Amino acid sequence: MASQECVDARDPVVDIPNPGMEGAPVPNGGKTCPVHIPGGEDTKRGFRKGIGRHNDYVKISVPDFKVSPLPMEWWKTIMAFFYAGFNLVLTTVVITVVHERVPPKESSPPLPDKFFDYIDRVNWAFTVTEINGMVLLAIWMIQLFFFRYKSIAIRRFFFLIGTLYLYRCVTMYITTLPVPGMHMTCAPKLHGDSHAKIQRILQLISGGGLSITNSHLLCGDFLYSGHTVMLTLTYLFIKEYSPRSFWWYHLMCWLLSAVGVVCILVAHEHYSVDVVVAYFITSRLFWWYHTMANLQILKCSPNNYLTNTWWNPLFNFLERNVQTAVPCSYSWPITCPPACLKNPCKKYSMVQSTREE
Amino acid sequence: MKKVEQWSAEDVSDWLSKEGMPEYQDALHQTDGPALLRLTEADFRNPPLSLLSCDGGQQIMERVKTLQIENHMVAHKNGHTNGHVVGLPNGTSKPLNGTMGRKDLRMEMVHIHIPTAEASRSSFPTEWRKTGAAFCYAVVCFVTTTIVISVVHERVPSKEHTPPLPDKFFDLFNRVEWAFSICEINGVLLVGLWLVQWILLKHRSIIGRRFFFIVGTLYLYRCITMYITTLPVPGMHFKCSPKLLGNWEAQMRRVLKMIAGGGLTITGAHDMCGDYLYSGHTVMLTLTYLFIKEYSPKRFWYYHWFCWTLSAVGIFCILLAHDHYTVDVVVAYFITTRLFWWYHTMANQQSLKETSQGNPFSRVWWYRPFQYFEENVSGIVPRNYQLPFSWRGLNWSRGVKYSRLDLQ
Repeated sequence: MASQECVDARDPVVDIPNPGMEGAPVPNGGKTCPVHIPGGEDTKRGFRKGIGRHNDYVKISVPDFKVSPLPMEWWKTIMAFFYAGFNLVLTTVVITVVHERVPPKESSPPLPDKFFDYIDRVNWAFTVTEINGMVLLAIWMIQLFFFRYKSIAIRRFFFLIGTLYLYRCVTMYITTLPVPGMHMTCAPKLHGDSHAKIQRILQLISGGGLSITNSHLLCGDFLYSGHTVMLTLTYLFIKEYSPRSFWWYHLMCWLLSAVGVVCILVAHEHYSVDVVVAYFITSRLFWWYHTMANLQILKCSPNNYLTNTWWNPLFNFLERNVQTAVPCSYSWPITCPPACLKNPCKKYSMVQSTREE
Repeated sequence: MKKVEQWSAEDVSDWLSKEGMPEYQDALHQTDGPALLRLTEADFRNPPLSLLSCDGGQQIMERVKTLQIENHMVAHKNGHTNGHVVGLPNGTSKPLNGTMGRKDLRMEMVHIHIPTAEASRSSFPTEWRKTGAAFCYAVVCFVTTTIVISVVHERVPSKEHTPPLPDKFFDLFNRVEWAFSICEINGVLLVGLWLVQWILLKHRSIIGRRFFFIVGTLYLYRCITMYITTLPVPGMHFKCSPKLLGNWEAQMRRVLKMIAGGGLTITGAHDMCGDYLYSGHTVMLTLTYLFIKEYSPKRFWYYHWFCWTLSAVGIFCILLAHDHYTVDVVVAYFITTRLFWWYHTMANQQSLKETSQGNPFSRVWWYRPFQYFEENVSGIVPRNYQLPFSWRGLNWSRGVKYSRLDLQ
């Protein structure tokens, strides 16, 4: 599926010095670029060493096969999907386990919370949150459907969702917060009844963990808020992968997201700290991942502390062959070559703009 | 082929794609022949060109130099056979026929940019004013934290009314009474070590600035999380001092006492409850270790291991003493490490110091203060050591220099 926008792979005609050489003048001296290794570079490096830095070599252009800077690689997307699926199932299992340990609200009353002191509970607010969440998710899926590089965007979405839910498993499990309000009705505890627990897990998964589908009867999953994660993450993705000029669209989605998050607190369904921590972790992880993916110069830089995270190998696996920032271009998903609706949005990265003709 | 000086912008574009560098075409689409010959390496340190290449524009500059020489050779056709004068750094002057013309050629030679001289020339200015600003910021954050702890203390539910929350670590390990003293001793040791190391660093104003800013921001975040939701005490062993409902003077005295004691239990300054999410002790232990490791020579691995052990044991002892919930410690570790790495990556990469669409890091709220602190620091701060007072002539510089510094 070679699109007409495929550009020649950049020939690494730079004098890449011997990897073992200290004190090389090139910024990536001393350590080869761990991610950025297109094919054939070793041979070229050998030639460079021999010829040295004189300007008297002649470049013989060998017709390269065109390597797309943005390969589809659907198999990686499927692996990311399994990763996210696994983490979602793990989250439901952990919720079920934690539910058994939640102290009853009579013996452990709700913790003092600044927001709850100011704003009283409103019954229907949580429904608003969940509707907003579903609307945002639907908008994101529609946007993805028309996105040209959907496999890359979907892969990133699955990876981030999976990781955020994995973190959530950890924080939920280690310390159990009591219910935020006396209004919450928790399902009875099933001490040791594994069969019933598995049924609960399946019910939770099938309902998507939402209250309006009556699958959210378990308590204890407070730190941090999964609803906030979904609302924030879908908004960030929608904004990132849509044209810069659609400010009204971004504003609308931001409103949906913000109202959804505030309604979680108004409904007294989560503590304020749950929502704040969820927002913080989601936004930081999103920006961290996209900075690493978009700035190619970071992939070559040896002083890149961003690679100190535990998920760096997964990141390298997913993003190894993505060589530029993903441009926001749209097309009909069913390929009919004349009808390529390319939306010329403002390009947001200098790297990307030189790759698209 | 016509001369470079007569190239139009289109010719330049064709040349770029022929040389295998199509990514520059867009950025240089208005560059014609003479402008191309005038390109220097300084142009590649700023956007938009800095974002395009991994190597700081080295390979394209080599090509441009080739063009410049060719251009000169074409211009001075009288008797010059040696076109490689540029490539001889020693400047071995082989007398050739036509020395007159050779002098001409040398006068018009391409300037060879020697990065060493430029890099060592105050890329790391000591701006003590900025360090002072960062210090004030940190002090303000510390004082705010103490005030917030004092406020939150009034709202902590009594332990009879709200028992400690279930915690996985507490289920597995019983409480050990003296463990918290170990944690605090480790903390004091680490802070002491870091202070000594900081005094010995050459670029202490820059590094001090970073430490104060990061510590201040972490404590500011801590104020917020402590304040919005109040966790109950983690164990029945806690003795919280009585609440002073509305008695401002006594509250002020309490705040001052806490500041004077540094918030440590061994100095008797920390008898207030409610400051659980997230753990300030973990923040200090983790942050001092990260800074110690970052700004000391890589070969001191035993020193790094020692500090790591101090830090890890300290954190473990917090939990062993049942003085914080597990989630407090985990969240504190996460936020500290992420902020540290984020800040240092931004500080080390020139291209991340500019706001652009391709730089999502610039959307963080502290980006402006960061730019203020780090705008004149170009490159990675080398780990050089120097005695602080007098003995200025005795510049030890025994630390391992970053090799990249010398050549950038």
